[in-house]
Amino acid sequence: MSLLGLSALGGAIGLDGTSVGQFMVSRPLVAGLLTGWAVGDPMLGMAIGMVLELYLLVSFPTGGSRFPEGATATVVAVGSCAGVEGGGALALAVAVGLVWGHVGGLSITWLRRLNGRLVPGEEGPRPSVTDIVLLHVCTIGLDFLRGAAVVFGGLLVGRTVVGQMAPFWPLGPGGSVGLVLIGGAVSLGILLRDFGGFRQNRLRLAVGLGLGLLGAQLL
Amino acid sequence: MSRSHRSRSAFATFLRSFLIQSSWNYRTMIGTGFGLAMLPGLRRIFSGRPEEFEAAVERHVEHFNAHPYLASVALGASLRLEADGVTPETVRRFKTAVRGPLGGLGDALVWATWLPVVSMIAVASYWLGLPGPWAAALFLMLYNTGHIGLRIWGFWAGLEAGRDVAGKLAAARFSAWTMRLRSWGVVVLGILAGAVLGGEGGLGDAGSVWAALAAAGFLLGLLVGHHVWRPAAVAVVAAIALLATWGSIR
Repeated sequence: MSLLGLSALGGAIGLDGTSVGQFMVSRPLVAGLLTGWAVGDPMLGMAIGMVLELYLLVSFPTGGSRFPEGATATVVAVGSCAGVEGGGALALAVAVGLVWGHVGGLSITWLRRLNGRLVPGEEGPRPSVTDIVLLHVCTIGLDFLRGAAVVFGGLLVGRTVVGQMAPFWPLGPGGSVGLVLIGGAVSLGILLRDFGGFRQNRLRLAVGLGLGLLGAQLL
Repeated sequence: MSRSHRSRSAFATFLRSFLIQSSWNYRTMIGTGFGLAMLPGLRRIFSGRPEEFEAAVERHVEHFNAHPYLASVALGASLRLEADGVTPETVRRFKTAVRGPLGGLGDALVWATWLPVVSMIAVASYWLGLPGPWAAALFLMLYNTGHIGLRIWGFWAGLEAGRDVAGKLAAARFSAWTMRLRSWGVVVLGILAGAVLGGEGGLGDAGSVWAALAAAGFLLGLLVGHHVWRPAAVAVVAAIALLATWGSIR
């Protein structure tokens, strides 16, 4: 898919993050699959999406907080390494995705400031129904353009970085996966803390771990 | 409130609740989105009374914030209050009173519990061999069953109870559900960790050094919490950048 096509896909998936619905199509594991399909490599998309999902397990779009944007980050990561040969493509794409997730988060903050200028003020005239409907058409359109622009910029940077550096990547496939999973393990530790900590949950954790290891052997 | 009112304009308001965050901003937060969602219901309630309709629209685009899914509770209840003809000040006071609890309950139940638990189920299933598209479909189905169910329940609970919706919220026992989900979430977390450790192409295959580093990362997250998330992501990106640079100049 072309740069513009992927940018439009990023803009559309990004809308789900805040503006429209929040059905979580914007989560990396879904966005990765959709982008993988778009670039003709759904397995690659899933692999990157699953790794980024692990990182973003503890990143919530709460209230006015600034959070990394998973949707655009995943589209950029998958689009950057599609068709690139070399063992480092996955690790480099994840790195690009993590960096670009913060760019996406920053762009959301800017959009919210811009929206604040567009909404009717208390001191202004009473807003009409048309004003309110047009405002929302406008803000949804701006969010789409924001997501598309973030993905466009990210792909320009990401394709250059991944394309140039992947052939010289020094680690094998196992090492590459091991490296990117370290951050995912940190997220799991944080989540265990959020869920009540180790002492209170050690039995449940042990049961789960045993089931997971058993499942990995059997399935 | 008449049956036709409930069935058509209320349904239109419910559908528009999916756009409640579309004009999110730091001045009114989701207030203008709240006003957009209220339009069909208000139009019906104030039919033939344009001045009152405009005044109602104006008070519903004011500052408001809540969790986007549980904001449907406030939407339903506000619609009921407007239909019952209570004073504008009562509507304002009601919205001010509920926004904090609806935000806190929703953040804890949905963002901090339901979303990560369902995500972990999908990622663990993938790592245990479920094809990627099925894992993504499982995630979307499970998550949105809870998501849309919560929105529907909240909206109709608000519409039915009006200003007494606090009783419905208390009876729903969200905090107890959150705690229960977190208990099961730890089991899922363990399954995911086991799948990543023992699954094909996971940490077990990567080698003991990487498994040990991941275990150290897990412990760091467990001991320090959210403060370590950003530094850990930066460290991984920096390590990848250094390795790539070293590889290209070697």
